[in-house]
Amino acid sequence: MLTAILALAAVALALSFVLAIAARVFAVDVDPRAEKIEEALPGANCGACGLPGCSELARRIAEGKADIDACPVGGAAVARAIAAIMGQDFAGGGVRRVAMVMCNGGDESARRRFWYNGVRDCNSAALLFGGDKSCAYGCLGLGTCAGVCPFGAIDMTGAGLAVVDPARCTGCTKCVDACPKGIIRMVPADRTIHILCSSHDKGAKTRKVCAVGCIGCMKCVKAAPEGAIAMDRNLAVVDYEAEIPPEIAGECPMKTIHVRKLDGLADLDAAAGGER
Amino acid sequence: MMGRFFGGVHPDYNKDLSRGKPIETMPVPGRLVVYLSQNLGAPSKAVVKKGDAVLKGQVIAESGGFVSTPVHAPVSGVVAAIDTFPHPVGTDLPAIVIEPDGNDRWADGCDVERDVDALSSAEIRDLVHDGGLVGMGGATFPTHVKLSPPPEKPIDVLVLNGAECEPYLSADHRMMVEHAEEILDGAALFARVIEVGRVIVGIEKNKPDAIAAMRERAAGREGFEVAALDVVYPQGAEKQLIFAVTGRRVPAGGLPMDVGVLVQNVATCRAAREAVRFNRPLIERVLTVTGRAIAEPKNLLVRVGTPFEDIVAFCGGMSGETGKIISGGPMMGVSQYSLAAAVTKGTSGIVLLRRDEVAQFVSDACIRCGRCVEACPMRLDPSTLSILVERMRFDDAGETGVNDCMECGCCAYVCPSRRPLVQHFRRAKAELRAKARKAG
Amino acid sequence: MGKLVIIIISAVLVNNYVLMRFLGICPFLGVSKRLKTAVGMSGAVLFVMTMAAVVTWVVYHHVLVPFGLTYLQTVSFILVIASLVQLVELALQKLSPALYKALGIFLPLITTNCAVLGVAMLNIQKDFNLLETIVFAIGAALGFGLAMVLFSGLRERIELCDTPLPFRGTAIGLITAGLLSLAFMGFTGLVRL
Repeated sequence: MLTAILALAAVALALSFVLAIAARVFAVDVDPRAEKIEEALPGANCGACGLPGCSELARRIAEGKADIDACPVGGAAVARAIAAIMGQDFAGGGVRRVAMVMCNGGDESARRRFWYNGVRDCNSAALLFGGDKSCAYGCLGLGTCAGVCPFGAIDMTGAGLAVVDPARCTGCTKCVDACPKGIIRMVPADRTIHILCSSHDKGAKTRKVCAVGCIGCMKCVKAAPEGAIAMDRNLAVVDYEAEIPPEIAGECPMKTIHVRKLDGLADLDAAAGGER
Repeated sequence: MMGRFFGGVHPDYNKDLSRGKPIETMPVPGRLVVYLSQNLGAPSKAVVKKGDAVLKGQVIAESGGFVSTPVHAPVSGVVAAIDTFPHPVGTDLPAIVIEPDGNDRWADGCDVERDVDALSSAEIRDLVHDGGLVGMGGATFPTHVKLSPPPEKPIDVLVLNGAECEPYLSADHRMMVEHAEEILDGAALFARVIEVGRVIVGIEKNKPDAIAAMRERAAGREGFEVAALDVVYPQGAEKQLIFAVTGRRVPAGGLPMDVGVLVQNVATCRAAREAVRFNRPLIERVLTVTGRAIAEPKNLLVRVGTPFEDIVAFCGGMSGETGKIISGGPMMGVSQYSLAAAVTKGTSGIVLLRRDEVAQFVSDACIRCGRCVEACPMRLDPSTLSILVERMRFDDAGETGVNDCMECGCCAYVCPSRRPLVQHFRRAKAELRAKARKAG
Repeated sequence: MGKLVIIIISAVLVNNYVLMRFLGICPFLGVSKRLKTAVGMSGAVLFVMTMAAVVTWVVYHHVLVPFGLTYLQTVSFILVIASLVQLVELALQKLSPALYKALGIFLPLITTNCAVLGVAMLNIQKDFNLLETIVFAIGAALGFGLAMVLFSGLRERIELCDTPLPFRGTAIGLITAGLLSLAFMGFTGLVRL
């Protein structure tokens, strides 16, 4: 019995000696905070932060090269946890941001100027005259955003439009990067008034190519509370900080203003502590 | 020495429609749309504004960088607008619209003969730049850049590209038949700039009259020869042409200068003579208007900026139902959704196909038959590449050599599954470019 | 010499650890998605296996046998292998962080890799001398590497195919592994050890 213990102990001692030397020779400095931060991150390695994976982001945050709220999927809860690890305060966040396709010009309302017969992918289609939509800012409807969404939150309507389901969107912004037209925006999930158009064309041109595009008539700007809707190069843009009554939708002659129903969404956000 | 490159295809050439038609000068249209992007590389910068009166040959946009060229007013008149227009390459790009005043008057200093023998090679190169010269075969690479090889890459052969391997087109063919002397004059200028003694004109065998005309004119010039080439598409592609006439292989990702060769299109040579000797900048070009959907196929000398609409009208309009309008040849050209685009320095032709000639199809999955691999003159593997692109693995596609693709279309031509291979590769190249830009 | 050749052929082909004895399946399926990581893993296994075979042989014949402690065989072997894996992990983290990251959890898992322990045990069972032990361990590791490289190459190609949805990923991987194993059965009877 004693020999057994002694023999194993001797072998173990010899090996640990080797390991001790190896640890000295191959020493790599790892910030212990980085490991803790990595545990706090969602761990999906989705790449939404623009880095190869969660461990890389954790390393950057620990080194102070990335913000503590750099993970768009984790949101405020994760940012708060990271702030605690880093010994910083985190005040911002709270409202979940979701993607929204800023175009309502489906096949029934927006014209197509030629018949596109090629790769069924928006980025490929956009290489030829910017796509077949007559409107240079319109959704091409080939579903590239739906394809890249890791959470299945984007559906294609029968009219060739992409629509984001705010309940399933985690705000990873992959679709924003994938859209060749750049018409997907991140909006606060609890806002109801949205202007579903991205066209900076002049009103007359927009009217020619789309039945539901913003023509820049400014009616909504005048009807809305001061500063709540602003004009940006012939396009009305909602300031999501402001409160706008839903009646504003009636002012728009093109029916571009969309009032989103929040049924169920509020419950969802409440269940997630308002900080998903 | 003469070789045949690997791969390639034999499409229906259909050149009989226009090859017998002498070059006809088209009258100046009522409105010209001159794009600021007339060359590969940086677009030019406009130096006129709306309402300005301009004279023919006057600079209306200057170079936007080293790899860029100035743009000249193709006619005397008034700048009516500066706005975006559909460019034949497939995007909307800014252009200067000029309304002619009917006088067609040259600007001061233009259209004056110069003593070319007194010019140094640097002066000729500058004149080539000032004349707004670009590769007129379609690639529109600024000519002065090609004429400025680094000293460690000596060039010993100038190859004139008269292959015109694209089906339907016959503009270069007619040019060689009718203006052989002028082409060779221009080529001699290029040869002087880069100090080469050997000039080889490569012409496909299906243009015997052009070969005869060029041979006749080249006979009296020392170091000039004419090579009759096999008829196979893409014989006129730079690397394939170099291999055919010199037997030299340009390495993947390399340039002709890596093997001591400079290639110039025959039309560019003629334009060089005009610009250097007569101080007439590049404001007009010969193009072929052809196809079975045009009433009267023609080879036309038109001003840069002439809208396609006017050209089609001049050729008697469309006959029957048009299925496709292509700027350039049917293999590498870009299909147009309207006639709104205008002629650029690189527009070698407009092909109008009848509806019953245009195949409409749905593409299927790759069956890995390998025909594309056999057809690819760049020895790529289009099948694997396209699948990588479909899986959005652009980096892997880059490693597999997608950037060596010259978009000749041979793979898509032979594909029994009708896969849009070239479109996939264009996408991959665009993605890789965007990524390189992002990385700085 | 003849015996050594037979040992190598036997270890690489006929008694391939992964495809014939079904040992070391965990990294075989886990890190075979890319050829690069598969080669890296094979390298790590080659190192650990050879070192483990040598050290365990020495421990067995010069510590356990003289003291009559052969019943401690498994415990002491795992101790040796675990230390060696630690060593590899430390070295990799320093020398090739990219490979370290790519191998992830599978690197420490070599510790409990049955292939490594299997080699150590078989050496004792077959009563090899030290030279034979080393050759056998290298052969077994090469066999593991061969299986990894073949399999990762196949998987890289399968990834480009339109696999039916239910079969994607590990499912088609297992089917492929089975077919590969069937193919290796063709080597049965090539040599007898």
